[in-house]
Amino acid sequence: MRNLIDFSGKKIIVAGASSGIGRQTAIVLSTVGARVILIARREEKLQETLRLLEGEGHSCYAADLSDLEGIEPLFKRIYEEQGASDGLVYCAGINSTLPLQQLKPQKLQDVFQTNFFGFIETVRQAVRRGRFNEGMRIVAVSSNAAIRGDKAHTAYSSSKAAMNAAVRCLAKELADKGININAVSPAVTNTEIYRQYASESSDSEKALMERQYLGLIEPEDVADSIVFLLSPAAKMITGTVLFVDGGLSSN
Amino acid sequence: MSEQEKIAMIEETLELDEGTLTPDTVLADVDEYDSMAKLSLIVMADDEFGVKLTGDMIKGFKTVADILAVLDK
Repeated sequence: MRNLIDFSGKKIIVAGASSGIGRQTAIVLSTVGARVILIARREEKLQETLRLLEGEGHSCYAADLSDLEGIEPLFKRIYEEQGASDGLVYCAGINSTLPLQQLKPQKLQDVFQTNFFGFIETVRQAVRRGRFNEGMRIVAVSSNAAIRGDKAHTAYSSSKAAMNAAVRCLAKELADKGININAVSPAVTNTEIYRQYASESSDSEKALMERQYLGLIEPEDVADSIVFLLSPAAKMITGTVLFVDGGLSSN
Repeated sequence: MSEQEKIAMIEETLELDEGTLTPDTVLADVDEYDSMAKLSLIVMADDEFGVKLTGDMIKGFKTVADILAVLDK
């Protein structure tokens, strides 16, 4: 029997692995044989994620990816300690709901710092010569917000749209190195951030679920799609944004 | 900060003319006090006063005085 999703002997870096989609991606990767290298801001959450992983040989690094200057030494250290990697998942991100008049330049900067600038710098460091193995795959966690307008979501939506645009450009540029890069685009997902939102606005939640007709997306649904894009089964897929949105974008 | 200064900040956040609000103003009577305005109020309270407003606190606000009481903390 052929197993399309086999990560035995593969090393995958998951950036933003302390909760939600990132944590779940690390867990799924560990169940299909990967050695997972976790990066996140909060040390205690990293340790929690580490304990949830199956198998041996996983490692974790506490680092704040909004500190762009710190990403170069971080990836140098990861390479020295873990060797070349086979994949990178960028799940680090902050949500923000800010009406225009509250969207001061520093607040816009903060959102872009983690969601976009941190993403580009992380990819830049991960694909430096010698730091990756043949068939390297990169997956970014974007959002349906990138293609939909909503009040007070200017910062978040724009940062994810920038990410999608970068994925298309980088796909062409990195193809020469044999690297595929894609994004997944979840709609409303059952994470801590969502549960906070849902407790405040049950009416708009109901309306949303009529359009997202397959229901609320669980982090493992998104994680499974990420793992598919990292796998050899997706070798002819690059530069795309895969909607994992319960049908929302079909409206 | 004086009560008048705080009222002026709430007016600015809700994009109201200066002098529109008094402590007795009933929020339900203010057309501009919609969901976006409430969101702006949450951000302003956090930025300017370090006060985290919850959904329940917002629901509990009946008059401008109720907002002022929370910003005092």
